[in-house]
Amino acid sequence: MTEEQQMLRDASERYLRDNYDFNQRRDGFRAGNYMSQSHWDAMAEMGWMAMPFGEAAGGLGFGMQECATVAEQFGRFLVVEPVLDSVVIAGALLSYPGVTAPSAIVEAMAVGEALVIVAHEEQDAAPSIKNTQTALTETADGFQLQGAKRFAAGGGSATHFIVTAMLGEQFSYVLIARDAPGLQVDSYQTYDGRSGANLDMDMALPADALIVSGPLAEQAFEQARERAMLMASAESVGAMQAALDATVEYTKQRVQFGQTLSSFQALQHRMSDMLIQLELTRSLVASACRAHDEGAEDARRLILAAKVKAATTARRVTQEAIQLHGGIATTDEYSVGHHFKRVTALESWIVSREEALESFIAAVDAA
Amino acid sequence: MTDYTAFRQEVRDFLRANLTSELIRAGQLTTSVFSDFDAGLAWQKILHAHGWAAPDWPKEYGGTGWDINERYIFQEECKLANAPAPVMMGIQMLGPMLMHYGNDEQKAHYLPRMLSGEDVWAQGYSEPGAGSDLASLKTTATRDGDYYIVDGTKIWTSMAHHANRIFCLVKTNKEVKPQAGISFLLIDLDTPGITIDEIVSLDGHVEQCQVFFEGVKVPASQLVGEENDGWSVAKYLLEFERGGHNFTIDLKKQLAKLRQQAGSVKSHHGRPKLQDPVFRHRLAEAEIEAMALEQTELRIKGSVSAGGNAGALSSLVKCVGTELGQRFNELSIDAVGQAAIPFHPKSLDPRYGGPTPAPDYALTSMAEYINNRAATIYGGTAEIQRTIIAKQILKL
Repeated sequence: MTEEQQMLRDASERYLRDNYDFNQRRDGFRAGNYMSQSHWDAMAEMGWMAMPFGEAAGGLGFGMQECATVAEQFGRFLVVEPVLDSVVIAGALLSYPGVTAPSAIVEAMAVGEALVIVAHEEQDAAPSIKNTQTALTETADGFQLQGAKRFAAGGGSATHFIVTAMLGEQFSYVLIARDAPGLQVDSYQTYDGRSGANLDMDMALPADALIVSGPLAEQAFEQARERAMLMASAESVGAMQAALDATVEYTKQRVQFGQTLSSFQALQHRMSDMLIQLELTRSLVASACRAHDEGAEDARRLILAAKVKAATTARRVTQEAIQLHGGIATTDEYSVGHHFKRVTALESWIVSREEALESFIAAVDAA
Repeated sequence: MTDYTAFRQEVRDFLRANLTSELIRAGQLTTSVFSDFDAGLAWQKILHAHGWAAPDWPKEYGGTGWDINERYIFQEECKLANAPAPVMMGIQMLGPMLMHYGNDEQKAHYLPRMLSGEDVWAQGYSEPGAGSDLASLKTTATRDGDYYIVDGTKIWTSMAHHANRIFCLVKTNKEVKPQAGISFLLIDLDTPGITIDEIVSLDGHVEQCQVFFEGVKVPASQLVGEENDGWSVAKYLLEFERGGHNFTIDLKKQLAKLRQQAGSVKSHHGRPKLQDPVFRHRLAEAEIEAMALEQTELRIKGSVSAGGNAGALSSLVKCVGTELGQRFNELSIDAVGQAAIPFHPKSLDPRYGGPTPAPDYALTSMAEYINNRAATIYGGTAEIQRTIIAKQILKL
């Protein structure tokens, strides 16, 4: 870890530990909230929204290694605010080299005034470029956008959406405001304590709503997908760490048959396995982030491997955490079950484990 | 950062010039941690002549003085070039221990003979009644004037049938708690009262032995460290057994071989097994695990270079490295199918040049699969490693 990463890690850990209260989070969810505006504002204040943007756009110019240190803490403390969804994922689509997005939106994102969510997935279809049915057609003074988007994670609180669509044969994406006429947004809560949105669109758009079209759009989208794999993996590492810590702590206190659960070797070995898997994943995710930032030759292979490993491991480790706790972890009152739900949502977010595995095989064959 | 390109080239040039085709054949036909004994010894003598017999030793004892990166490169290049593995108990385990605990006389006498291959060492730790619970060992050494009289038996003494010496843990005090009454002795295997029984392994081959001691007179000068302090000596040595190994190199080699095997066999659909989607899926998942281990080994190497200690993380690596090796072995026998089944030990002898019942790419699959079951048993079982992780990292 560089000094900068260490500082970022310490700052985000300190803020979340001191302020991001689990009970408050749960009460907020029960009250029907999608996120906490006051946490959102505080995170913007601390500069987290500015992380991946270039300095010209008011950003900090951080790479995925730095973003991952924050993502990891988000995973530990079960942060529901879609910071990374907006600034890292939507941000990648708006600031990809060669893509010209309105500077106002990027500047607003970097200070937390805009919350932009990518709406790509559609009904009955995995979220790949090939499955894009939403259509963009040219009109006399702009475009007509027609179609439906489903399960846009974080969409409940979005101020803007980036919607992917086909302009003829060209993969494209447009930026639209949540309150744009002709856009219907149905938002809902999600099992992982966050929000989602379904979009139905039959609307006229001005010409400047189109951000980019064609091969450049596909390249930008692919980069956003790679970053999503890295962020999901880093967040899963944090969630696993928290689940393991809670398990160790709990089994040291819980007494059955006259002795602590932690004194049973059958349970000790299972916790050792959790640690082994966590550490293997941590190494791979860190290397994948580094390879991405350095533009290394084997970056893609490492990113795909990290995604597969993190998704596989996070499922196993959080399931084990619940099992070793016993009944307590099946309740809404206890944290571990929430880590379990979050990593489950991350598993199929933007790029699923199985797609990553297939792409990994293709990448190995190509090498 | 230091540039190791020139060093790597030097190693490659050396290997190209010195690895004969017979030695390479022995390397290719290696199905356990031990290669054909004669080939391993011959290779050690070549390495010794070049000053490279002990990659991990400091220069003052006749080692190379290499840093961790150079040692890694050397290991990797040797493996990729199919160099046979010399018997390693002396140089890799006993040597570093003697440097730390041995007296000047012991160092001066034994270290050079280890390097030259004049002495071949076996390890006398386990007993029939003392495996994972090593401290419960029962072989005794009773002081009698200038000698110890040793009685008892040691098992899983790898390569004892080729060795001339053995280092042993023996009980010198039965009155105290088990760990406190153990001493470390060096014993000449020619001493009267010693018999060596060979143990045939599942692959039909002998690597392991049981050694019996009956009233064996060992000069007291052969004690290493203090009397009754053998447990700390042994623990120090076990760290070398666990921590010194780089699994990534082995796994990369296994993976390359596996690809070659799966590329040589046609699957039920008529295309190479390597294109069978079910097989590819399993292979890719195992490969991803190997990548995760590689990055973890690099992480540890980085912290060791920076002056840190691998500590209990070496237990993690041992668990994962051995279990993953076994997973690759399974993929290998699954890839070649019935071609793995013919039992024909001659075809694994590097000196044999005759016909074999199975194709060359399948010759080692079964023996490797069988022999590697021991990997999660020796050097501290997978269960012992998990207990170490639970105690030392998780503080359970």
